[in-house]
Amino acid sequence: MRIEIVVNGDRYVKEVMADLSLLDFLREVLGLTGTKWGCLTGDCGACTVLVDGEPVVSCLQLLRQVEGRDVTTIEGVEHSGELDEVQAAFVANGGAQCGFCTPGMIMSTEALLRANRSPSESQIREALSGNLCRCTGYSKIIDAVLQAAAERA
Amino acid sequence: MAEVFAAGSIEEVVAFLAGHRGVSLPIAGGTDVMVDKRNGRVHPEWLVDLTSLEALAGIEFREGGKVVRIGSMTRIRSLELDPVLGRRAAALVEAARLLGSVQIRTMATVGGNLCHGTPSAEMPPPLLVHDADCEVAGPSGRRVMPLVDLFAGPGRTVLEPDELLVALELRLPDSGVGSCYLRQTVRWSMDLAGVGVAAAVEVDGSTVTKARVALGAVAPVPLLVAEAANALVGTELDAGAAAEAGRRAAAACSPITDARGTESYRRQVVAVLVERAARIAWLRATGSWPAGVPAPANGVLPSEVR
Repeated sequence: MRIEIVVNGDRYVKEVMADLSLLDFLREVLGLTGTKWGCLTGDCGACTVLVDGEPVVSCLQLLRQVEGRDVTTIEGVEHSGELDEVQAAFVANGGAQCGFCTPGMIMSTEALLRANRSPSESQIREALSGNLCRCTGYSKIIDAVLQAAAERA
Repeated sequence: MAEVFAAGSIEEVVAFLAGHRGVSLPIAGGTDVMVDKRNGRVHPEWLVDLTSLEALAGIEFREGGKVVRIGSMTRIRSLELDPVLGRRAAALVEAARLLGSVQIRTMATVGGNLCHGTPSAEMPPPLLVHDADCEVAGPSGRRVMPLVDLFAGPGRTVLEPDELLVALELRLPDSGVGSCYLRQTVRWSMDLAGVGVAAAVEVDGSTVTKARVALGAVAPVPLLVAEAANALVGTELDAGAAAEAGRRAAAACSPITDARGTESYRRQVVAVLVERAARIAWLRATGSWPAGVPAPANGVLPSEVR
């Protein structure tokens, strides 16, 4: 099957298996391995990307269904080689330890801050409830999101 | 590997499903189908992609707002964020906001949640207490049936392999109606209901004139429990009436023992949650609950915590 899709602003036309997931397409076809292969059941959120600005778990997203739409992965978050406010806040606050959940955490945060410029702590916890972290205990991640929101506001 | 058929119309979907019975599977948001496919629970030769069918998506108020039609491809996230449903079908919005995560709700659809047939699914109890009908398209045209008749058993509906759930229709009385969805889970989020409970009441003054109580995760199919609802009708939803509704609901269900709770624990939780959900529904119906504010998932109100 031929697919045409925009990822991080770049247009791709590829020949792929019809039932490929968006995750497999990003990692195996485009080589964008920042999006993590985690549970493959939609529970862990490590594969979170944005489709037209909305967060989805790419492991359960049939690629065919996002044809022609605008996909943003962690590789598309930086601005000309500089970390964006969310990435920088995760670094500054110790919001990443092993780092496996971090791309998904950041993508969910990007989606949250697009919809809500100054989220409360409980709104942040709710927005990130589909992203599991086994290292940080979440507190430093919440701190990072609060700081990113404050810097963007 | 499965091929993907991208349908252009409802009729095309039905014709394709009819021509590929047993080897084709509709895919909506994919949050169940992709997992089932990966785990080998389903082996479709064809996935029938419904995402391009705009006729299936959307929340439309009709008859001056007395009826709402919800397309089967409407995303759970759209239900969650709909302000009118939040005021007038509070149980549905409460259930939507508890389902999965933001990512899952962005993808998952109301029709997919119903047609997957999971006994613990979030959408059936609130839709049942709002008296939903479902519209189904098949080779011989459309048919409408009460939602309660859709469910056939764990993972099964009464739909034929070439039938498609098109939309749900709910009646929304102008005033004097309130509903609530509560659930028990092991974790606060990203969990399936161990018990899911919805209640809706219509009141005249403060007296209940109509009531419905529905249960999820405590029987092979979602249940509408008329005996429990009847315990509320004619009362002012005092503590005794709510408790009686809870007892009757607990007696009517048939939970199993599994990782989310034992049979006897679930029965006790049903009784408690029905009592709380009925009370919150009544508070909403009588205008004693702030509009659009969801109840805590377990129905424990701050004043009771203290």
